[in-house]
Amino acid sequence: MRLLGWGVLAASFTGGFAVAATLVGLDRQVRARFEGTQFRLPSRVYSAPAILYPGMDWQRFGLRESLMRLGYRDAGSATDLPPGQLVWESGRVRVHLRAFEHPTRPEPDRDIVIRLRGSKIADIRELPTGRSMGAVMLEPEPLGAYYGPVREQRELVVLDELPRYLIDAVLAVEDQRFETHPGIDLRRIAGAALANLRAGRVEQGGSTLTQQLVKNFFLTPERTLSRKLREAAMALIVEARYDKDAILKAYLNEIYLGQRGATAVHGVGEASHLYFGKPASRLTVAESGLIAAIIQSPNGISPYREPERAIARRNLVLELMKNQGRLTDQQYELAIAEPLRLATVTPESGDARYFLDLLHRQLTETYSSEQLTEEGLRIYSTLDRRLQQIAARALHEGLEAIEKRRPSLASDDPGRRLQGCLVVLRPQTGELLALVGGRDYRVSQFDRCSQARRQTGSVFKPFVYVAGLEPRAAGPVITLASVLDDSPLELSTPNGPWRPQNFDGKYHGRVGVREAIERSLNVATVRLAGEVGLNQVVEVAHRLGIESHLPAVPSLALGTAEITPLELARAYATLASGGVRPETQAIEDVVDPAGDVLARRELRFERVLDPGTAFLATSLLEGVATRGTAAGLYAGGLRGPIAAKTGTTDDERDLWFVGFTPELVAVVWIGFDEPRSIGLASSVGAMPIWRRFMEDVSGGTVRGAFPRPPDLERAEIAPSTGAIALRGCPEHRSEYFLPGTLPTTFCPDGDSPESDAIHRRFLRWLSENL
Amino acid sequence: MAERKPLIRLLAALALVALAGCAGVVTRGTTPRVSQLSGGDDVFRASQDFVVAGLDAEIAGDSALGVSQYERALQVDASNPWAYLALARHYVEVGEARSALAYVDRAAGLLESLDLDSPGARLHCDGLRGAALALQGRDREARVLLDAAARGAPAVWGDGQLSAAELR
Repeated sequence: MRLLGWGVLAASFTGGFAVAATLVGLDRQVRARFEGTQFRLPSRVYSAPAILYPGMDWQRFGLRESLMRLGYRDAGSATDLPPGQLVWESGRVRVHLRAFEHPTRPEPDRDIVIRLRGSKIADIRELPTGRSMGAVMLEPEPLGAYYGPVREQRELVVLDELPRYLIDAVLAVEDQRFETHPGIDLRRIAGAALANLRAGRVEQGGSTLTQQLVKNFFLTPERTLSRKLREAAMALIVEARYDKDAILKAYLNEIYLGQRGATAVHGVGEASHLYFGKPASRLTVAESGLIAAIIQSPNGISPYREPERAIARRNLVLELMKNQGRLTDQQYELAIAEPLRLATVTPESGDARYFLDLLHRQLTETYSSEQLTEEGLRIYSTLDRRLQQIAARALHEGLEAIEKRRPSLASDDPGRRLQGCLVVLRPQTGELLALVGGRDYRVSQFDRCSQARRQTGSVFKPFVYVAGLEPRAAGPVITLASVLDDSPLELSTPNGPWRPQNFDGKYHGRVGVREAIERSLNVATVRLAGEVGLNQVVEVAHRLGIESHLPAVPSLALGTAEITPLELARAYATLASGGVRPETQAIEDVVDPAGDVLARRELRFERVLDPGTAFLATSLLEGVATRGTAAGLYAGGLRGPIAAKTGTTDDERDLWFVGFTPELVAVVWIGFDEPRSIGLASSVGAMPIWRRFMEDVSGGTVRGAFPRPPDLERAEIAPSTGAIALRGCPEHRSEYFLPGTLPTTFCPDGDSPESDAIHRRFLRWLSENL
Repeated sequence: MAERKPLIRLLAALALVALAGCAGVVTRGTTPRVSQLSGGDDVFRASQDFVVAGLDAEIAGDSALGVSQYERALQVDASNPWAYLALARHYVEVGEARSALAYVDRAAGLLESLDLDSPGARLHCDGLRGAALALQGRDREARVLLDAAARGAPAVWGDGQLSAAELR
């Protein structure tokens, strides 16, 4: 008997020790979670904000689609329009723009009326003052987020910012005695057990809000007794250690409330954006009721898929609130009459995934992977969402058109399909506006714009001409009046003699500089590179923005060096901006959850080429677009200043098209990842994609003009000889020249220079006296 | 012929005024103020709205917001020289000579090449370039430019500085 007593005592002691040890362990877990990083917040990336202004083509911009993507809801009537809602009527749209919270460039919410005339914005006025506005910004659009192992999205909330009726709605339906129970609610457990017994199946849960939180934080969803016991023990520990507000706040931030595409939405803050397109602080009573209603089964009672069930459950919540004294009869009547007005579903954009990866590679130079996936940074990028969409569409449809034209290029194997990329920069600032790194991100995440180095073919040639046009101590090697030699050429190389050939297999003798680049003549260009000096060509290409290694060999002039499309875009941007090289920028700023700006872009650029040379090179490339290998650009009706160059490598393995306007530089590359012949020229394969992109961006008319320095001289020349064409010369073409570089010979069939000088003096007299 | 000449001159003068208006150059005063510029296309005008907002922010003491507004101006119209001029002024004020020089060069280049140049705008470019050079300790070069600016617009450049309010 005594032995039994000792045994019981020992067993009790051992059991008690084991329980105590378990409780200590559970307590440690609870404290670690509550006092450490409670939530891992992925960093989110946003586009540049779109700007609306009078005169803008709202249809081409896609105003309605932009507002829908930003989650603006059509309110139906415009009496008292809250932020995040709009009313679209004939000839006008009233929209209450949301505030943009940013530490250094905040924007207040604005109630505005946009008057539309045809496809243009006629004016923008702010209400209620009626003040005319020169421009307004929309909020930056979310592009995506950097997730850790779990793909969850949440916006953290604090209780003080939440409307009381949201908390009341949650408590009314999930845990009405939350304020008074110690973590478990025995009355609720008994009630649920009785109800389930009557129903013969599990219909009700007895878990308190604290138990639900514990289950989500620490436990698996399995329904076993031991798991329930651990849940109850941990709920008691949580309640013993932390006050009710801390528990409620954790719960409201943790609870699962639905899906945005493949991403799980957690917490009332994020759910509020998902369903109603606004922060939780602005929820109405009815909207609060709906969020509380779907906690039970966010996908089963999804207001998008099951609106009637969602409304029925919402009304039940509102009724519970009324019955529990959390709503007055009047509030209840108003809320129950409120129709369900949901925000447009905005799944995370998939068309900017390559851009997000590029950004990630840049960000990891400064931030750790954990910081990016757990610390909830807001990363504001330079990406122009509209341009990105247009670029993605142009590339995708262009590649399909090529396969239709050449069925032998198509492949059933997604990994072996014809690929391409399109990258767009703003030349004056170097901002990366759009980047489509491949045909389908799901199949291949390799970014062909920034990671693929390929031979460039003739799109390298402009660097040779820039090197030739640039002023030197003894004057430039060429001017726009120079005549080049396109006769057979043999060069000795370490691999034996090399005889460059033209694309058409012919030699063209003496050709003007313009003709040489417009027809993309290889032999004349190789000879020019030799005259300029290969090291000089390499130096110029690097100075303009090429970073890849460039071997100083004769074939360099024909684009045998391997370069990324992004580098090419930057180097051409230097020409487009008049010789000022921009730094490529993809990030505007990085803001942490506390609102501190961690990093901010600084526009950086450097003059690396005199403006006159940049203008002359641009003028040559305008000729390529007007008369040369890219002349098809204007065939579709595109108008305005465009400079461009085609490029096709040996065996037509890589097709390039680089073009720029005064405002944009865009590079298109087409090819196979495992290089093989495409059998098409660039003007047939890559150029139509560029043209389609620019037509969609500009509406057919390209704005602006290339900057022309005032000190350039202009003269009439005889193209065949490069001499100054005097009066009576049978051929004339007007060309610009750097100061002091006018030709010194004269067209032999014209008048003498003296008589021409008299003629000029007469013209000058006329101009001075008119 | 002698009687027709004034008419031709008048027409030529009118044409020049019209061209000036289209190009967005100053319409009154010798040193241009951004808020008084007229003309230009819709894009230029929208961009100018942000330049004015940026100057207002700087006048109110919020220079970070000011810079953001200038960047928005460039987002709308990256060829707007006044946005670069405002940035140059800002960087002179905060003592960053290198950035100021880069922006003033860009502004001057655009003013010239886009036919937007005016004597007053040139004075601002000279003055800002001089102020930036002075920050770099290049006093002799700076003095020449600042003196030229002060001679051309004593009311603005007499003190060797261009405030946000004076540019606005």
